[in-house]
Amino acid sequence: MNVATYPTRNLFRRRGRTILTLIAIALTVLIFNVLRTCDHGWQVGAEEAAKDRLATRHKVSITMQLPKRYIDDLRDPAKLPGIKAATWANWFGGKDPRERVPFFAAFAADHLSWFEVMDEMKVEPAALDAWKQTNNGAILGDVLAKTLGVKVGDDLTITSDIYPGDWKFKVVGIYMPLRKTADRNSMVFRWDYLNNKLHENPQSATPKDQIGWVMSRIDDPSKSAEISRSIDKMFDERDDQTVTMSERAFQLSFLGGASAIINAFKWVSLGILLIMLLILANTVAMSVRERTHEYGVLRAIGFSPRYVFNFIMGEAVLVALLGGLAGVLLTMVLINGVVGPFIEENMGAFFPYFRTPMHVFGLALIGAVVVGVISGVVPAIGASRRKVTDALRRVD
Amino acid sequence: MVPVRYNTRSLLVRKITTTLTAAGIALVVFVFAAAQMFGEGAKRAMLASGRADSVIILRKGSDAELSSGIGNDYKKLGDLPGVAQVAGVGAIGEIVIVITAELADGSGGISNVLVRGTPPEGLAFRPEVKIVSGRAPKPGTNEVIVGKAISGRFKGVGPGQSFELRRNRPLQVVGEFTAAGASYESEVWGDLDVIRKYLGRESVVSSVRVRLTDSSKFEAYRMAVEADKVFSVKAMRERDYYRKQSEGTQFLVYGFTGIAILFSLAAMLGAAITMNGAVANRTREIGTLRALGFSRGSILVSFVLEAMLLTLIGGTAGVVLVQILSLFSFRTMNFMTFSDVVITFQATPGIVIGALVFSAVMGLLGGLIPAIRASRVSPVEAMRG
Repeated sequence: MNVATYPTRNLFRRRGRTILTLIAIALTVLIFNVLRTCDHGWQVGAEEAAKDRLATRHKVSITMQLPKRYIDDLRDPAKLPGIKAATWANWFGGKDPRERVPFFAAFAADHLSWFEVMDEMKVEPAALDAWKQTNNGAILGDVLAKTLGVKVGDDLTITSDIYPGDWKFKVVGIYMPLRKTADRNSMVFRWDYLNNKLHENPQSATPKDQIGWVMSRIDDPSKSAEISRSIDKMFDERDDQTVTMSERAFQLSFLGGASAIINAFKWVSLGILLIMLLILANTVAMSVRERTHEYGVLRAIGFSPRYVFNFIMGEAVLVALLGGLAGVLLTMVLINGVVGPFIEENMGAFFPYFRTPMHVFGLALIGAVVVGVISGVVPAIGASRRKVTDALRRVD
Repeated sequence: MVPVRYNTRSLLVRKITTTLTAAGIALVVFVFAAAQMFGEGAKRAMLASGRADSVIILRKGSDAELSSGIGNDYKKLGDLPGVAQVAGVGAIGEIVIVITAELADGSGGISNVLVRGTPPEGLAFRPEVKIVSGRAPKPGTNEVIVGKAISGRFKGVGPGQSFELRRNRPLQVVGEFTAAGASYESEVWGDLDVIRKYLGRESVVSSVRVRLTDSSKFEAYRMAVEADKVFSVKAMRERDYYRKQSEGTQFLVYGFTGIAILFSLAAMLGAAITMNGAVANRTREIGTLRALGFSRGSILVSFVLEAMLLTLIGGTAGVVLVQILSLFSFRTMNFMTFSDVVITFQATPGIVIGALVFSAVMGLLGGLIPAIRASRVSPVEAMRG
């Protein structure tokens, strides 16, 4: 028997209370992890996005387009050294007439260069060949293809929020993600198909030969800031100015307003730690109060105040740590096992990757231990400073 | 029945425990009520934007003004034969775009601001719009006014400032406006023709609005518009349109309410721990009460009541504290237009009552099992010690 035995055995004295406290701490850790995972999932794209890729869009608005000829300037090594390849796309905004999904990302892209630049998506060479042969060919992400219930060779009719009418496509391929943050819920079809359709309809309100954004691959990722600046400088004197940024910053420019919500999640996650603190502090305070007499006895038989202090602190931290570990286990099973994959499939646009990372687990455990220390320290000081005679007199 | 005074005094005796538990409940109620207040604010902004007797017309297939486009013959929508429209108002065609703007808080973050180009009649069409500083823009110029809710939140989008739509085509902010809390307060308004010219989109408008003599005439108007083969458009009541816009924001309310309910599970456990401790420490008291003739039922009621009293203290504190939020507004996003909307937290008596009921329910659920334990205490054994 050593001194650690006392706090350990104490856990079993009020079994009901200990179990309730452990459940409460595990639950708060789980909630903390969920909120932090939202934040992480939001930010992670930036870290995972290809470092050697830049997005160029209209400086003023995400809804305004650039003249198609800009791509020739971007591809010209004499004007812009350092760019290996460039491709472009236009937002189309897919809607399924049968409403199996409320909305999905569909865009028209240059079929000759798109997958060369967006190389985190794997497409079979046969599918790329078929794409070149098929004017209305489309390539879908594996998750979207499953949702829409289509396979290679099928016809697919969708509508758009921007372009009127029914749009008929032929599925020529399915792309597979090569990286965990790759979007598996998108559909790409040929830009020339869209552009020609717009030419066919003289009433169309949408101008022709316009491109939504440019994606470029650069030689040297360390020069990305410099190259971004030179791209924007090149178009600075033109009517339509550009802004060039990292790929994730580009994605976030559509969802800018949502960042305030994610920030709110961060604040709320501190709230749950506070609730954990209140619960544990209450448990410790109640236990210490009940045992005042006992601590008096310990002091009377020769244990120094420091022992009493350590007993109480040890017990508080032990409960916090055990509850924290249980919460971490619970998160691993629930978030990384069940909820994460579900969110990635259904809310891929917001959270391409939704798993609780190691550093959040670490943060949660540190949080739990800190909560344990804070909730233990006041009762521990109080109990260790109490006069032996006072403590012994207390019979609760 | 055991006097309630017994419970209030018991709570007062254990000051630390009572405070800690109530504080936990207060926090949960705070989050819960804040979510509802946010939802209420969003609902009010959207409802204030839509009038029952106004109709909004969009291109068929579009769900939002941003993605819609209607040709320049839209004026005909304002005088369809045999349809009850308010005379002299006509069709208000407007163009809507979003611009990228940098937050003025120095964080370097960017977001999207909605810019609306409206004809000179556009202001009169919405009498709730009031210029609160500066002046109204002169028609046919590049002057714009900015909604009070977003004024100064973005670089270049405040009184006296200017921002460019295209190179050397700046819009000059000359005033600020309010719109009775409508989501228009998160927009920038300028001249329809000038903005269309700057954008090179002279031949289209995003949306068209008309005013009916009576809201009951809507169906007749809708049928007349949609039967017209010249237009490929759809007509919606303006109110329905904005209700649909607010749905995207409502899911946030559900999200935060969900978080509050998760929080409440933890706080309920906290209340259960406290009440469990109270029962364990007061076994002798309970035995005495039983010996005095109080029934098992009255002991049960007494302890459930004590738990509810405990959580109501917390709930009241939470409800009082959350009122501070009425002074703040929260920047969020209209998911249909990608643009920012600023929502102010709005408290209603319903929200306050709901939050208090919520806290009482936490007490009921958290205190039930300890109370059952208390009611099972045998008087003889308890008094023997």
